[in-house]
Amino acid sequence: MNKNVILYAAILIFGLAAPFVFPAFKVQLSILCVLIVLATTWNIQGGEMGYNTFGNILFYGLGMYLCASVQVGMFFPLAEWTESGGEKTFVHTPTQFFQGMAAGLVVAAVVPTIVAGLIGYAILGLRGHYFAICTLGLGVAAGEISGGIEIIGAGQGFTTPPFPNVGGLEARGEFFYFLSFGALVLTFIAVRAIYSTRFRLILNAIRDNEDKAEAMGIETMKYKIIGWMVSAFFCGLAGGIMGGLVGYIDSTDVAFDGREMGVFMVLMAILGGKGTLWGPVIGATVFHIFKEGFWTFFLGWQYVALGVLIVVIVIYFPEGIMGWLREKYPERFGEVVDEADRKAQVELK
Amino acid sequence: MKINKIILSFISAVAILLSTSVVSFAKVVGDKIVLGAAISLTGKYSSNGVHTQNGYNMAVDRINSMGGVKVGGKTYKFEIIYYDDESNPKRAAQLAERLISQDGVEFMLGPYSSGLTKAIAPVTEKYGVPMVEANGASRSLFTKGYKYLFAVLAPANLYLDVAIRTAVELNGGKGVRIAQAFEQDAFSQDVRLGILDAAKETGSEIIIDDKLPKELNDMAATLVKVKQMKPDVLVVSGHTKGALTAIRQIAEMKVDVPMLAMTHCDAAKLSKQHGKNSQYALCASQWHKTLTYKDNFFKDGMTYAADFQKEFGYDPPYQSAESSAALLVFKDAFERANSFDQKKVRDALAATNMQTFYGNIKFAPGGQNVDKPMVLFQVMCDGAGKCENKVVAPLKWASAKLIHPIPKWSDR
Repeated sequence: MNKNVILYAAILIFGLAAPFVFPAFKVQLSILCVLIVLATTWNIQGGEMGYNTFGNILFYGLGMYLCASVQVGMFFPLAEWTESGGEKTFVHTPTQFFQGMAAGLVVAAVVPTIVAGLIGYAILGLRGHYFAICTLGLGVAAGEISGGIEIIGAGQGFTTPPFPNVGGLEARGEFFYFLSFGALVLTFIAVRAIYSTRFRLILNAIRDNEDKAEAMGIETMKYKIIGWMVSAFFCGLAGGIMGGLVGYIDSTDVAFDGREMGVFMVLMAILGGKGTLWGPVIGATVFHIFKEGFWTFFLGWQYVALGVLIVVIVIYFPEGIMGWLREKYPERFGEVVDEADRKAQVELK
Repeated sequence: MKINKIILSFISAVAILLSTSVVSFAKVVGDKIVLGAAISLTGKYSSNGVHTQNGYNMAVDRINSMGGVKVGGKTYKFEIIYYDDESNPKRAAQLAERLISQDGVEFMLGPYSSGLTKAIAPVTEKYGVPMVEANGASRSLFTKGYKYLFAVLAPANLYLDVAIRTAVELNGGKGVRIAQAFEQDAFSQDVRLGILDAAKETGSEIIIDDKLPKELNDMAATLVKVKQMKPDVLVVSGHTKGALTAIRQIAEMKVDVPMLAMTHCDAAKLSKQHGKNSQYALCASQWHKTLTYKDNFFKDGMTYAADFQKEFGYDPPYQSAESSAALLVFKDAFERANSFDQKKVRDALAATNMQTFYGNIKFAPGGQNVDKPMVLFQVMCDGAGKCENKVVAPLKWASAKLIHPIPKWSDR
């Protein structure tokens, strides 16, 4: 327990001090926070429950559009804002900006949760590959549909409100950093709390053998939907923050970016080790650092390098970094290992 | 829980990594002026991204070899830091941030495409970094009140405006029936708005108004409708892929339409890729090598084209020419400001009034270039099947007469 406190304190201090110690990296660190949130929430679904989804990008994009729309729509006519030929320039006052953002984030989290409930009710009856393919379609469809809705900018894209002129040059970066770090802390605490209840065991039971779980009297459908709704809540929140951070929302390239974000969140969770609390956190961090590094040092080859990384992970660390560590140093994970038993297992292999 | 140790050491590793990452460069190091640019080297805009990069590089080499930039009695040379934005706005915004806050860049060149410029402009604006961009034409870029954004090109809504007006003129001043298909992106949608305006003013009617997906490789559905409804003008815009797809399928399906107006024909090297199939296509262009503008560095369009051909092995599309012009603008502004102060350079940029081989450059308060009209060229082929782009409008620069209507496929 004592050590846990030290660990969390260290992370918290690191997180709070980071934008001041490494001011140049604020944006990357903010994005890292968002990535960790996405990986962690994907893990609820893909890792704990065994339902590999590519559809979480739907909630992320939905959150992004909703947050920006609310932020604008509360104070100005949305259609005029997004219409590109508009000669009028709208400027949010600081109060309007922050009020709008706060209200936007609430909507960005709540609406995707409801949507997840509705869609989940319809499609969570599918299993395995069928579910994965079905969710893949969700993101693609959302991207195409949103690209045709004029009021949110359609193919023109949606420029989110610029940060008001308060607090100097660094204010915007710091605001979004602390917002995303706050979202990360909130997500982590919530997920950790959830994982310490019976709910996690139910999710694991569904993953390991859904029919058996049902036979034991667990209402699997109910728990599957709730699990997805939890994911959607934080995904939407992350999307809302990301929209403000990027400053420009494009239907398929930024919001419903299934090809990048949608796949990355799966990759990060798998890289770190799915079905663990810390895996997605570590996976997202390693992934982000590698990616940024490749971009700097292997310009033009970054995706090749990333591809090699993925291949290496799949071949050498199929269980992810956490899984690998767990296998290598089981004692450190608090597992009691009987030497004789271990030897016997090795011989069996 | 020993695992805590692992995680703790992991966190400290991250901290060390971050703190040792060198925050280096500065805008002006020794005798170098360092400019930053995020360019699409991969992704759907990669071919135009490379055209842009080649244009930048060509101008940097030329300016440096011809004496560089003289500021405060000292000579400086240009240098550009490039990053790959992967044709993704999210990435571009992030890279702009990185160029400015980590690499210390104080002056920026634009990326390729309106969407990416839209993503970068808020960042450069926030830091007060002057950006001269050559490839973001969307009108909405110039109505946001940006102070540090300067575009050497004419806004997107003017691209095919001339084509519609020409068609109406040829129709005896009566409105025409327009079929149009546009990619779902900021630039093409703005071209669309321009057409809507032109149609309204000329009393023309839009009978087909289709949207094309971003990963564009099929527009047969639109063409079937065109075959049925027989419009007077077909307008297609979707960057390089849009131009290639349209020509390929129009030829395959033998679609007859009196006028075909497009964008990005030269970037797509249409006349080379599709030869006679691309004949008669009417294309909007920011620049053409036969225009008679002049400057001291590249002399004129023909010389620029020849030099470019020698260096990169292909005829320069206007994307390269306008990118080269961006550096000429920067050089001019630095020398007039006689300083590297961002505000002074910004004011000097705003006061730009010059001629380059690419055209006249003078910025409106919104940042767009108001002194350079668009040109229209038509792909024309000789009997041997050798195709060339010839300017047909405006009449001042026309080197050939517009062929209208396009002969039917059965007569070709």
